[in-house]
Amino acid sequence: MATTSSSEESRLHCCFENWIIQQQNDLRELLQTLKDSPGDDKKFCLVIQKSILHFEQYYEERAALAPANAPFLFAPPWCTSFENSHLWIAGCRPSLAIRLIYTLSGSQIESHLTEYLQGVRRGNLGELTCEQLGLVNDLQCKIYKEEEKLSNKMASMQEDIADDPLALIANEFDSGRVGESNDDVDRALDAHSLALATILKDADKLRLSTLKELLAILTPFQAIDYLIAAKKLHLSMHEWGKRRDQQHGSI
Amino acid sequence: MAEICCESKSLSSSPSRVARRKRMEIRRFKFVSGMPLTPQENAKRQKKVLGPISPRECDNAVDNSSNNGVIEVSRLSLDLNLSSNEASLEKSSEVNTVVVVDRCPKFGMTSVCGRRRDMEDAVAIHPSFCKRDGQILSRMHFFGVYDGHGCSHVAMSCRSRLHELVKEEIETDEVSVDWRLAMARSFKRIDDEVLGSSDGVDANCRCELQAPKCDTVGSTAVVSVVTPDKIVVANCGDSRAVLCRGGRAVPLSIDHKPDRPDELQRVQAAGGRVIDWDIPRVLGVLAMSRAIGDGYLKPYVISEPEVTITGRTPEDDCMILASDGLWDKVSNETACGIVRMCLTGQGPVLSPSSPSENDDNAGDSSDKACSDAALLLTKLAMARNSGDNVSVVVVDLRRDS
Repeated sequence: MATTSSSEESRLHCCFENWIIQQQNDLRELLQTLKDSPGDDKKFCLVIQKSILHFEQYYEERAALAPANAPFLFAPPWCTSFENSHLWIAGCRPSLAIRLIYTLSGSQIESHLTEYLQGVRRGNLGELTCEQLGLVNDLQCKIYKEEEKLSNKMASMQEDIADDPLALIANEFDSGRVGESNDDVDRALDAHSLALATILKDADKLRLSTLKELLAILTPFQAIDYLIAAKKLHLSMHEWGKRRDQQHGSI
Repeated sequence: MAEICCESKSLSSSPSRVARRKRMEIRRFKFVSGMPLTPQENAKRQKKVLGPISPRECDNAVDNSSNNGVIEVSRLSLDLNLSSNEASLEKSSEVNTVVVVDRCPKFGMTSVCGRRRDMEDAVAIHPSFCKRDGQILSRMHFFGVYDGHGCSHVAMSCRSRLHELVKEEIETDEVSVDWRLAMARSFKRIDDEVLGSSDGVDANCRCELQAPKCDTVGSTAVVSVVTPDKIVVANCGDSRAVLCRGGRAVPLSIDHKPDRPDELQRVQAAGGRVIDWDIPRVLGVLAMSRAIGDGYLKPYVISEPEVTITGRTPEDDCMILASDGLWDKVSNETACGIVRMCLTGQGPVLSPSSPSENDDNAGDSSDKACSDAALLLTKLAMARNSGDNVSVVVVDLRRDS
């Protein structure tokens, strides 16, 4: 059945809230590590691995919950409307990761250009090497390709709504009885949910592989820098979105 | 009408990313009239997109620079082969040394997709691409930056063909090279090639579906041939070559913008109009007045290059070739200043913690310096929110480097 019971919904909600809490904890730990153990690449790698592991666990949990609840994950009521309006297949666009790298790298080089030219080195994202930039660029092209594949799949699924059987069943009803349900309808909606769940898993896989590949290109120090910025952005968007929604009286 | 449009333009007052688009979304027209892309086509297209910026290309570039930079040193007496203008230039510096270093200048390049979703830039670097038999000294090195619009395939054709055409043209000259003529002919030939044969169009690019002849696709081309005594630059479009001489920035090409007075006049004389749509555009579409390809905008948009021939002097530090992804964000002066600092050793040294730091392909620190300079300029353009592909080639012209 496609209907999500309230307990299932709360499970989904819980999964998300736990994820947010975990992101906050991870952020704290990353910041602490950076402060307590500057230059300790081993420690850096440990916390980076931990962050990746948490992403893996979250995506696994979503994958398990998705088949029965996919529509909820595509338009989660627990996310803010601002977040939901920027969702790409129930999450963030993988290419956001690349844009963030460029933004961080650019701002760090711009703000320290003079001292950089004087030879001062910080090892931060502003100092991506030619090789690193080449790899990031290759990854970017690869992600675009994968994103487009999934976007096209998604487009096709969205168009399926206006196809056999749903469009025909809807048209069969007499004029006064719009939206009546029957087994055929439930079967069709279930099939759509399952299809959504499949594409969600693929999208999460792409998000995860993007993150892993990107972090592998960076030095541990740069990777921590990146993860901190990414988590700050994610958590801030959530909070800013909440405030917006409250202002609009929608929560 | 067109003039009024242009006078009312306010380039600097609307620096939004959209406004900087060089072309009024030609692609969008094609999507409307054409079919949606299937995943296969998208895959193909992306494969194509990957082409110009694969790490292999980059590695080659660096490898080439180190090889050619180190190996090719010839000794010869002054009276052997110097042309008259070379001799006069040389007098000021090394007349009595009798040793002239005849080798490829060191270079480095960066070419990234950046904030755009399509990679339409292409870079071609061919050290020692041509040796003229009669003149042992005349080793020539080819550098080209191509910024495509509408699709990537015209830029790709330029990348794979233009140096060959230039080579053919200058090899046919028996005595001395008429550079203006050779460049004009080469550009005409590449233009004919990209417009003439749709079979020549690589099936991997995204416009492949849209029309048998992709008439709405084009590319800028800024090409430089560096010889022992001069720098020849042929330009068509709004990519740019800049020479850094004694710390000053000397532009070696002038962008073909539709509102450049002489270009505006030429377009209008040909019966075309320049309309200010965010920025001045030929027929309200293309934001440059010359380009390779773009058959649908002929005869207003022409492929004839403007050629400059500049004698090399001992004061020359470097040359920068780049697409407008850089020049829209970084001034000639800033770019020259930064590259100069990088080349004179005050600039970047790799961060000690870099994971990919291995000097396998950077046996010579100067090559590294050129690459780092190109990289730094690219990053600076990105920092300043360049929304375009960014391609930068840095050539070290110092004689004692």
